[in-house]
Amino acid sequence: MIVEQIIQKATQKAQSAQVSLNTRETSEVSFENDYLKSAESSQRTNIQLTVILDGKVGVSTTTDPNDVNGLVSKALAVAQFGNPAHYTLPAEQPTASVKTYDPELLLLSKPEMIHIGQSMLDMIKSYNPEIVTSSGVAKTVQTNQFANSAGAAYADEHTDFSVGAFGQLTRGTDILFAMESAGHKHRQLDFEDIANQTIEYFRLAERSAVVQSGDMPVIFTPDGLNALLLSLSIALDGKHVLLGSSPLASKLDQSITDSRFNLVDNPLIDYAPQTSAFDDEGIPRKVTPLVENGVLRNFIYDLDTAGRAGAQPTGHGANRRFTNLIISPGDVALKDMIKGVRKGLLVHEYLGLGQGNPINGEFSVNLALGYKIENGEIVGRVKDVMLAGNAYQALNQITAISQEQQWRGGPYSLFSGLFPYIQVDKLSVVAK
Amino acid sequence: MRDKLIQALKAHTADYADIRIEDLDTSWVSFRGPDLDSIGSSRTVGGIVRALYKGGWGYATFNDLDHLEKRVQEACKIAHLVGNQKTQLASIKPVVDLTKADMEKDFRLVPLTQKKALAEEYNNIVLKRHPKIQTSNTRYSDSFKTIYFASSEGTYIEGEVPNIYLFMVGIARQDDIVQQNFQTGGGFSGYQLVENLHAKAEKAADMAVELLSAPTVKGGKYTVVTDPMLTGVFTHEAFGHLSESDFIYENERMKELMQLGKRFGVDNLNILDDGSLPGQLGTHKYDAEGTPTRQNYLIQDGILVGRLHSRETAGKMGEQPTGNARAVNFHHPPIVRMTNTYLAAGTDTFEEMIKNIDLGVFALDTIGGETAMEMFTFSAAYGYMIRNGQVAELVRDVVLTGNVFETLMNIDCIGDQVYWVPNSPGGCGKGGQQPLRVGIGGPYIRIQNCTVGGQQ
Repeated sequence: MIVEQIIQKATQKAQSAQVSLNTRETSEVSFENDYLKSAESSQRTNIQLTVILDGKVGVSTTTDPNDVNGLVSKALAVAQFGNPAHYTLPAEQPTASVKTYDPELLLLSKPEMIHIGQSMLDMIKSYNPEIVTSSGVAKTVQTNQFANSAGAAYADEHTDFSVGAFGQLTRGTDILFAMESAGHKHRQLDFEDIANQTIEYFRLAERSAVVQSGDMPVIFTPDGLNALLLSLSIALDGKHVLLGSSPLASKLDQSITDSRFNLVDNPLIDYAPQTSAFDDEGIPRKVTPLVENGVLRNFIYDLDTAGRAGAQPTGHGANRRFTNLIISPGDVALKDMIKGVRKGLLVHEYLGLGQGNPINGEFSVNLALGYKIENGEIVGRVKDVMLAGNAYQALNQITAISQEQQWRGGPYSLFSGLFPYIQVDKLSVVAK
Repeated sequence: MRDKLIQALKAHTADYADIRIEDLDTSWVSFRGPDLDSIGSSRTVGGIVRALYKGGWGYATFNDLDHLEKRVQEACKIAHLVGNQKTQLASIKPVVDLTKADMEKDFRLVPLTQKKALAEEYNNIVLKRHPKIQTSNTRYSDSFKTIYFASSEGTYIEGEVPNIYLFMVGIARQDDIVQQNFQTGGGFSGYQLVENLHAKAEKAADMAVELLSAPTVKGGKYTVVTDPMLTGVFTHEAFGHLSESDFIYENERMKELMQLGKRFGVDNLNILDDGSLPGQLGTHKYDAEGTPTRQNYLIQDGILVGRLHSRETAGKMGEQPTGNARAVNFHHPPIVRMTNTYLAAGTDTFEEMIKNIDLGVFALDTIGGETAMEMFTFSAAYGYMIRNGQVAELVRDVVLTGNVFETLMNIDCIGDQVYWVPNSPGGCGKGGQQPLRVGIGGPYIRIQNCTVGGQQ
């Protein structure tokens, strides 16, 4: 096994070493502008080596499995000037048994993928032939191997299936984009649902609506929650906590949101988009409660940051990435939530997210796709509207959480996970 | 490599095929707070074969370079599965060209310890500048890429792309308020680009601290004056993307909307894209299809006169290829992208622009921008209110938005000089390909009735 070979080679000089190897093969078809435009086969290999030499860390990566010598010598060379290791490599630990591989997906052929793409395109065109439509279908087979000099060794295989549909409707100088996607690790996927959801975004935008500047209630769709999750995801990163740049740094076990808000990171859901049993540092994945009934419970840590902070690594990889984020459902049906709004917005997609000051919770975004709610009904699309607020204030002003949840995790999603619709008392809107 | 690529391409069974191979060496040093956070180096090799058959593309991308002929056959097989129309590629003259990198101070000859010392020096400046600086992030990275490109039409291009990047962030904190400012340096022409950036390190710290006590800009409509960097981002987002023909060439409604000869702006509005400008971040001798780059007028005297093309979009629209097919790396086929896009100089001075503004916003520097063709946002790193013709107090969270069909018409002053931002941050993202480095710059401009987001 190549990972053992690398460990052996590296530890001839270094005191300890860990290797993570990822291979992936992807097959993909793309429809663009109403036509089958391209298909692709791709093969990728990536090997990452971390060595600890005289207490200092060096990292090197390569895409070339034949270049073991180069990889090892580079890691050793940089380790001479490396950062002090604040951790020791973990020994083998039990990992959860989760399903990440579906042999059925391997049987899916390119012609079948073309059929899925074409079917979604046909559905959208039959709703409105004026919509210029694109779609994509991709399947990936991944292998992950991990080993370290403390004796830990893990390996697993993943299949990933992702499907997306995308439409553009141009009327005069009015341009509307809408899209929907899904992704997970098994073959079963309702592509008609993706096409129907895309059509629904267009249907709701058939009429346009005018909104006046001012404060108003806002319902975030599961995608719309990105505006709040972006700030939270930065503040929950243990690195920002350690450095004191997280506004939540001193708030562990304190209330930070409305008490109905529950957020959990769960990498152990069978076939979910970001499910896996171990991370690229050899830490077993586990469920991490982040916010429980409004109370901040945990940050996420990699090995090094945990070592420096005196915390435990949480199994989110060297780059501290969230896996499947789950927000608990509430007790209100979406239709009742909408019914209860006299004048407000349903917000779905943004332009300019992340360009405010997300680390501080602030967002100021253009509504790429948002709708006006009037007297309990969605009355049309709003345009040229800026929405501004603070994620923490918004999470403290929750008025309702929907019973319905939606999985996100396709190619167009910023976060993977299961999210409800959330209504917030009021946010500031600037209209043209 | 040349013989290897030409040999592999002999296996092609499509209307057209090409291979691009990249060999990339990267090293980095990163400090966060007082500590060295990461140091390392990496090597990435790989390639992409593109085959075009009856208008359908087959792509094969790979890290393993051992079976190029098989990759060519695979791409062709896929293209045959996809193609059922007509291949239309605008013709270009085949070229053979081998170019070497031209660096004043070759960073490959600078020892890693020296790079680490430089990053640490800047990091210490940021950290120790002010008691309210909570933490910092200083990252140095460099990369050296060799690209080999061959097409079935006989083009062979071998080129070297050096790149060096320095990123410095000051993060200031007071109670629950956290503010940051980032400053960047780097480019293509060598290690000297990241030396002597001490003033930038100071600015990253100073601006983060100053922003702690700056109020958030009040949302509303303002007369806005932008500095050259933000003008560059504005030009890129407000209009640049709309001129990329892959949004137009197969969309009849967009063709009508973007008909050449239409008025898009005021009389003295000129917007160009020029991948052949010496020394800018979007500059290349050839694009990723082997088309020479050149100066392209997009808007001339307020009128739409041109657009950006790949060989395919040019072929399908019966226009000339412009040298704008670019790919961020070998994992992706080239798509239509900007190079160095800018608004040309006008005749106004900054003083003239602001002197009659009763209440406005002077917006500077940038965090980024995004577009959905018609609507767009562009964000300043900070701004100053303009009151009674004078630059007044500092404000933060200045995110601006516009609509291309109105905002370009609302530009009523254009500064008399174009300033290029030598080391602009980040890069452009499109179709999952980012960050692609583009030149950012322009004159100071004034925009009437510009919407600024924020609480009222």
